[in-house]
Amino acid sequence: MVGSAPVINRKKKNLWLRVKKYWGFYLLFLPVLAFAIVFHYMPMFGIYYAFTKYNIIKEPVWVGLKNFERLFSMPNFWNALTNTLELSIYRLLMQTGMAVILSLMLNEIISIKGKKLAQTIIYLPHFMSWVVTASVFQLILSPTTAGLVNQTLLNLGIIKESIYFLGKSNTWRFAFYLISLWHDTGWGTIVFMATLTGIDPGIYEAAAIDGAGRWKKMWYITLPSLANTIITVLILNLAKVMNLFESAFVLQNDAVMDTAQVLQTYVYYQTFNSGGIPDYGYTTAIGLFRSLVGAALVLMCHFASKKVRGRGIV
Amino acid sequence: MTNQITLNPVKKKWKPNWFAFFNGLFFTVICLIILVPLWKVLVDSLDLTTGYGMKLWPVNFGLDGYTSVFTNKTLYQPLFNSVITTLGGTFFGLLLSTLGAYVLIQWDMPGRGFFAGMLLFTMIFSGGMIPSYIVMRNLHLTNTLWVVILLPAINVYNLVLMRNFFEGIPASLFESATLDGCTPMQTFYKIVLPLSKAALASIGLMFAVSYWNDYTNYKLYITKENLYNFQMKLRSIMMGSDLPSANGSATENTVQNAAVIVAILPFMILYPFLQKYFVKGINIGAVKE
Repeated sequence: MVGSAPVINRKKKNLWLRVKKYWGFYLLFLPVLAFAIVFHYMPMFGIYYAFTKYNIIKEPVWVGLKNFERLFSMPNFWNALTNTLELSIYRLLMQTGMAVILSLMLNEIISIKGKKLAQTIIYLPHFMSWVVTASVFQLILSPTTAGLVNQTLLNLGIIKESIYFLGKSNTWRFAFYLISLWHDTGWGTIVFMATLTGIDPGIYEAAAIDGAGRWKKMWYITLPSLANTIITVLILNLAKVMNLFESAFVLQNDAVMDTAQVLQTYVYYQTFNSGGIPDYGYTTAIGLFRSLVGAALVLMCHFASKKVRGRGIV
Repeated sequence: MTNQITLNPVKKKWKPNWFAFFNGLFFTVICLIILVPLWKVLVDSLDLTTGYGMKLWPVNFGLDGYTSVFTNKTLYQPLFNSVITTLGGTFFGLLLSTLGAYVLIQWDMPGRGFFAGMLLFTMIFSGGMIPSYIVMRNLHLTNTLWVVILLPAINVYNLVLMRNFFEGIPASLFESATLDGCTPMQTFYKIVLPLSKAALASIGLMFAVSYWNDYTNYKLYITKENLYNFQMKLRSIMMGSDLPSANGSATENTVQNAAVIVAILPFMILYPFLQKYFVKGINIGAVKE
């Protein structure tokens, strides 16, 4: 770029030259662009249906905000919204807290082989699909004589008769959190372990010379160095709380819908399982509301993240 | 495991290390909590009398649960579909994430920022379940395996992980390739791909697992039973609507347990060898983040 090129119009010419220089890359990007348009952007234009009355048989008819009026007057909708927030936020807090505790304890294991073995086992459930996970726990929590948990509790005399854990709202919620912890806590430790291995061992040595014991080191060195990672993990995942679908879907059943129905499953049932002709306009409106709340959360988290750690989340 | 943890490696004077002992105990309990449910399913799948919940070994050992699953022809097609979509999807997923990542590290390219923003925006906002469904239906992709192969292939999160990895390739390599007259495509498969084997393995495995485990996309876009994958089939077996007829003396419960084991066994066998790649994949992102 040094050469003797005339200075006039340099910027314009440069842009054209740069475009020409990179033409091969534009070609390489075409497939990515095509996929993004078809699978992400075309559906985005479909949110237009939220303002129409639309079923397969007739063309969409513009109805303005009618779908939203109907939506906000539905107790089922408000119930699904609060369930979504409650289930996914509590789950996030429990998983993060538990993952931090596990990481701190993993960090204290002396034997390298023991640590590797423990890590291998605790990561395992993350790779099981939610269908498999739900199947396993349906069998374990079954109220029949084959159910492990009920039989154990009965034998220990803790309960007098079998409890259908997944069939009652109170116990369902509890089971949902525990199963989620089983599924993802171990995997959640990876990011914390990566931070912990980055701590300078010199700090621990200095603290030991000053007479700090194991708990003091954990409290004054390890935990504070994790603080930033904890906040990051919470923020990144808070942005995703509105996406809750598959885990709730495979664990729910008709008896527990008052606690287990979340927005995404509500949309699914209203559209594909409502019995009548689905009103795509109405269910798109629910979806749009969900996307907007989700996007607002992402932006909030983005600015929170900028403030806390000096950079955004995307 | 506990033995190795409880012994203090410092060799001076032997003194019981209570903390290490309780820590070992703690992790033994945690690992048991993770493994016991799976063990119980395995035991029940091999037991022909499923009357009693608490047991460590099959009381009445028999393989009839598995023969019921494997002699059932309706399970072959779902297994085949799972394999096809996992292979095809992983290919497309890796293709798109490497191409996208390669273009996104061209910092001087006009429009790079726009392309990056366009991809990242899809992580923030989406049309939602129903508009996606309508678009797929209008494109005649519903009830084909193409939709479950192509739709998850554009995964912006994995693309960003790949880009983070590509950023570590020294710029001088690109420059010398260009000086040697390599086109962008040649540089891509002669330099970028051979240098990224670790990232390709990690991210490819992440794609493979998510394709193998996919349930949501099938549930939304596929209604024809001959296009179901194994997860869909397992789900209907568990819901009791589609139980393979029990062979010999296997009970319904035995068959269900056997079906769960068939679904997880291939992965369980491979998992110990592949685990390091998964962790590496997460850390590619974590280092740059």
